[in-house]
Amino acid sequence: MLWIARRIGVAILLVWAVASIVFLAIRLVPGDPAELLLSQGGVAPDPATVAELHEQLGLDRPVLTQYIDNFRHLLSGDLGQSLQDGSPVAGEIARRLPRTLELIGVAAVFAVLLGIPGGLFAAIRRDSALDRIGTYLSALALAVPVFVVGTLMVLVFAQTLRWVPAGGYVPLARDPLQHLALLAMPAITIGLGLAATVFRMTRASVLDVSQRDFVRAARAKGLGQARILLHHVLRNALMPVVTVLALHLGTLLGGTVLVEYVFNYPGLSGLLVEAVNARDYPEVEGVVLVISVLFVALNLVVDLLYAVLDPRVRTA
Amino acid sequence: MKLTRRSALIAGASLPFLRNSARAATTPGRLVFGLSSYPPTMLPWANAGTAAATAKLMFHRGLLGYGPDGTLRGELAEKWEHAEDGAWVLHLRDAVFHNGAPVTSADVAWTVEQVAAEKSTAYLRAEMQRIARVDTPDAKIVRLVTKEPMATLPYLLASYFLPVVAKDSTKDNPLGVGAGPFVMTSEERGVALDFQAFDKFYRPGLPKLKTLRMVAYADENLRVAALQAGDVDLIEYVPWQSMPSIEADPKLSLQSTPGPFMYLTFNGKVKPFDDARVRQAVAHAIRREEIIKAAFFGRGSPIEGLPLTEGTAFYDAKLARGWTYDPAKAKSLLAAAGVGSGFSCKLLSTAQYGMHKDTAAVVQQHLAEIGIQAELVLPDWATRVTLGNRGQYEMAVMGSASEYNDPDGLTSFLAGNLAVSYVRSFGLDIPKIDELLAAGRAEFDDARRHAIYTELQQVFLDQAPIVGLCFRAQGYAMSKQVTGFHNLPGALTFYSGTTLEETTTG
Repeated sequence: MLWIARRIGVAILLVWAVASIVFLAIRLVPGDPAELLLSQGGVAPDPATVAELHEQLGLDRPVLTQYIDNFRHLLSGDLGQSLQDGSPVAGEIARRLPRTLELIGVAAVFAVLLGIPGGLFAAIRRDSALDRIGTYLSALALAVPVFVVGTLMVLVFAQTLRWVPAGGYVPLARDPLQHLALLAMPAITIGLGLAATVFRMTRASVLDVSQRDFVRAARAKGLGQARILLHHVLRNALMPVVTVLALHLGTLLGGTVLVEYVFNYPGLSGLLVEAVNARDYPEVEGVVLVISVLFVALNLVVDLLYAVLDPRVRTA
Repeated sequence: MKLTRRSALIAGASLPFLRNSARAATTPGRLVFGLSSYPPTMLPWANAGTAAATAKLMFHRGLLGYGPDGTLRGELAEKWEHAEDGAWVLHLRDAVFHNGAPVTSADVAWTVEQVAAEKSTAYLRAEMQRIARVDTPDAKIVRLVTKEPMATLPYLLASYFLPVVAKDSTKDNPLGVGAGPFVMTSEERGVALDFQAFDKFYRPGLPKLKTLRMVAYADENLRVAALQAGDVDLIEYVPWQSMPSIEADPKLSLQSTPGPFMYLTFNGKVKPFDDARVRQAVAHAIRREEIIKAAFFGRGSPIEGLPLTEGTAFYDAKLARGWTYDPAKAKSLLAAAGVGSGFSCKLLSTAQYGMHKDTAAVVQQHLAEIGIQAELVLPDWATRVTLGNRGQYEMAVMGSASEYNDPDGLTSFLAGNLAVSYVRSFGLDIPKIDELLAAGRAEFDDARRHAIYTELQQVFLDQAPIVGLCFRAQGYAMSKQVTGFHNLPGALTFYSGTTLEETTTG
């Protein structure tokens, strides 16, 4: 129990450290939110108006006072209001986070469905033409930036074939078909890179596991090829694949900005970039805090699971 | 069916014929407008950029506005005149707000009071503070008594930063209740805005559209793709590189006007830019056509004098060509200023916007040819604004537009007696320019205004408080099924959203 309490304590400390660093870092970067808000379109705001807005937004208070107030609000679950239009940051994150999670989730499913069977097949047919083609294509998918893939998809499927809209977002409840149509291209764009990683990891891992003694023993026992592959090789080979996939998905929480931009998808990453550009302090802090809490919570869950699975971890 | 290499190739080749043309059909009475960004705020009197201004023009209107040809016209005021006692008198038309209440002089007085208030963050606060009082002799007449003569007040009253809002309506809803042609029915933050025609709009028969949806497309290429794919009917901020393909598309049309402009600002507190001859040398050293080609794909026109659009009232063809490319003259000006052997400096721009960065790169090359070694400083836009406002630069690239098609609309770029701002040169107060701007603003006689602004153009060429580079084309592109939309001329291009009330589809 003490170990679990210590891990939870460390997680809370980590979240506090991230929130504090973000609070200070965004204020250290040049750029004044009030000036920016009043300078849209390359116009000159009246300095008295800027000063007034500073006062209204509470930016004229000492940084320490802002920091204490900020944490007092955070402890009560209040992420503050956007400096741009006064809308609650928590509400905007609650709207955007599910969209990003859905995008990442669909991309992951696509990557798994394409990458695992492909990697397995390439490993079985090692050095065949299909293996080589698969390896080259996965290298290509990893090398080509997502914005290039995304732009090409828009060009082909939206502009030329006109099968799907060029971009945007429609809530599932309003129009399920349109929702899926708009989700498909960004999810596939992210999924292609992920699928390439999964393909290569699966292939390498299957080849590695296939050489292990227990696989040889299974063959010696006379088990069928399919049973050996699915029950012995693949099950063992998937451990590193799942680990790498999980790591990639974690980084995608705040890293889908290019895809969101190319497809006009209103997710969490886009919100973070817009907030940084506008120096919208509460929005930047809120989004980074939520992402870091998710990261820390995921790590905590994994640590706790390890402890459940392997008692040595608890005594280490 | 057996999949062969040949059948796969045939299937691939036939893909372009499988176009879903139904998606591209425009729905009559409904228009989808692709905005360049989602409005950060739509508070009635705040400046939140052009996308916000366009959106606000749908549900708000001011006393005056602009017609499709760019001339001033009455909006909530049907006529206006300058009275003998110096006051501006406006006669309100029979209009109603979206809440059904009539538009009265009390609403106008309250609006001016809110904008000019001590705690106001309105863009035109300082300008409205020049109004001494607002008289409301009856419900339909407003008299604006100014502290000093203001010949250009009608332009301010036509600004989209000064809509008339129903009295006290901002207490319940910060956006206030307006009297524009559309009512906003829903707002999905960061995504889209939906509007419905206001059936009691003061222009009978308008708006022609039943519904209007504004969708934000921050990526300019996707905005164009959405138009070409038929997702939207009309887009703003057409990227210059896409203009030829739009013009070549038989289903689309492009309307562009030279409106916004690029220019250089200087830090007058830093040597040698405190010397007008050095600033003039910079003006003569730049081949502006190359900037237009590099940054705007040939869609622009050079500025070699005061940035006045050709064809506008005070444009002087000769003075507009005062800073022709002349490297020999530039070098002799540098020599006269004591820096004939050249010098090094920093040129501030931003990496966030391609046109700013590309313009800076071309200027850097041209300055090097006369011996000025300019090192580019390219932070993000927010940092660039802050550095500009603090005067932490030597020379900077800037882009903006005049507030209206009148030399007075350039005041914020030229007047050194105004507070420090990144849009104008730092620490460079030229009293003669301030004096001429003030004189032009106070002068009601056209001939005398003309003389004042001719002198202003000459002083501008001599002093070079800023150096104009080029006008850039500002474009709107639309499906050919869209009719009635007009890109307003020159600096008024950002007011083009006004004409959505006359726009139809299908």
